Amino acid sequence: MKALRMIDATIITGALLGLGGVFLVYFGNPTNSGLCVSCFLENVAGSLQLHDDIRMSYIRPELLGFVLGSFFIALQSRRFRVTGGSSPIVRFLLGFFILVGCAVFIGCPIKMILRLAAGDLTAIAATAGLIFGVWLGSRYIRAGFSLDRVKDLPQLNGYIIPFFAFLLLLFLLLKPSFILIGDKGPAAMRAPIYISLLLGLAIGVFAQKSGLCITGGIRNFCLFRERTLLNGVITVFVSALILSLIMGQFNLGLNAQPSSHLNHGWTFLAMVLVGLASTLIDGCPFRQLIKAGQGDVDAGITILGMTAGAALVISWALRSTSAGPTFEGKITVLAGLIFSLIIVMAYRNRKPA
Amino acid sequence: MDRFDKFNITILVLISLITIGMLVNQEIIKRRSGYHEAAAAEKARYYAEQMALNATIYQEVISLKEQELYDEAMTKLQEVMKTYPGKPQSYVYMAQLSLKSGKLADTIHNYRLAVEKESDFMDKNTPMFIGHEIKELVTESLPKFGREKKLKPNDKAVRNALKDLYYLQRRLAGGCE
Repeated sequence: MKALRMIDATIITGALLGLGGVFLVYFGNPTNSGLCVSCFLENVAGSLQLHDDIRMSYIRPELLGFVLGSFFIALQSRRFRVTGGSSPIVRFLLGFFILVGCAVFIGCPIKMILRLAAGDLTAIAATAGLIFGVWLGSRYIRAGFSLDRVKDLPQLNGYIIPFFAFLLLLFLLLKPSFILIGDKGPAAMRAPIYISLLLGLAIGVFAQKSGLCITGGIRNFCLFRERTLLNGVITVFVSALILSLIMGQFNLGLNAQPSSHLNHGWTFLAMVLVGLASTLIDGCPFRQLIKAGQGDVDAGITILGMTAGAALVISWALRSTSAGPTFEGKITVLAGLIFSLIIVMAYRNRKPA
Repeated sequence: MDRFDKFNITILVLISLITIGMLVNQEIIKRRSGYHEAAAAEKARYYAEQMALNATIYQEVISLKEQELYDEAMTKLQEVMKTYPGKPQSYVYMAQLSLKSGKLADTIHNYRLAVEKESDFMDKNTPMFIGHEIKELVTESLPKFGREKKLKPNDKAVRNALKDLYYLQRRLAGGCE
């Protein structure tokens, strides 16, 4: 019965992500970017003036909803447990590299699924890369990789990220002068705040209950042939595909795809990095937000790393545009893979000979 | 709660109130001085200045183009580009003149350069938007270059023109940047 409820929550979360992603485009979010943790973090970083691209500056309420929804439901269901202390600097840097990987592909794993469901065939290389990266990570886990054990921390630590989410929500509503809100480019493409926030909260609630994670679903399948989370991942795709077809957002092809490029090799490698690094830190960018809401301080550290990445991918051009990945972006993806592999070697518990 | 805690809480509340008061005060001052309106006006002024500057810089080019003296206009444009290197608007005129001269691949490539250098050309929210003319060009050129690729599969120029067209298509499709 419990397993059934878990599956239900996973399916609901998947459906909310898939349908929500398409609906948010209908309501004004950028095409094929109804929901994207990495793009939205870049927007938030711009709004806080961590980079100076006004076209990418907006506090996306969806992200705040994810964290706050998870926070409230965790408190209400007594699942708010403050833990942390597991290799914080490593998590920060892996969070940074995950964001770079996403920026080189132009999208997080959720957007990858939404792009695929909208007929964007350039996302196939990304899907293959992500699956390969997660598979690689699961092989390392089997071979003895694990980061330090987490320990219980004072309660205050767990409230910090939800507090920041609440503060950002206030900034979004009050629009103080130090917050930049772009009125052109992707920043100007936005669904009404209340729709984005409500959807974000609903997704946050169900994601906290279900533990849905894009890379986690693939990892569990690779490691244990366990399909609960994977069913949620498949639901994201199927629901987004059906709604895209119904709403006329489906456009099958390699060309004329929004926020895409044709450097499939780099797309593949970038998503290998995202898949591998996400497996090492136990969760995709979306899952990190949910975990931070339920008191996981390590996930909070990862979010800070991703936010730093979100600022630097724009400032230092560590990303792709429609023309393809920049040289800096390519080098940083390779650096991220090198770093991830060093971490794997350093943290692997080898069996005595 | 001992005296130390009580003292701490008092200080905490006091500092919080002072901080909030300072922030609110600062915000009120900025809003009274019309900060947001000033920012919007600044943006409008920026675009107006850009348009005016372009009108001055490209005055002769525009004039020659209107007289349908496309080769002369192109020569003049190249002079302007030496004086003002890297101005994105130059590539728009270059594209328009190439189109008039029947050089379709050059037209497409110059539009690509223009868009790469200035995203506002593809942004409906700015007065620089020229997406409609690019869309028209892309719609007309794609079948043509598609046919040419079938006839000449190893022609580098055709391949490059298609690459540029696909780039413009992706930009027209919108999405995140």
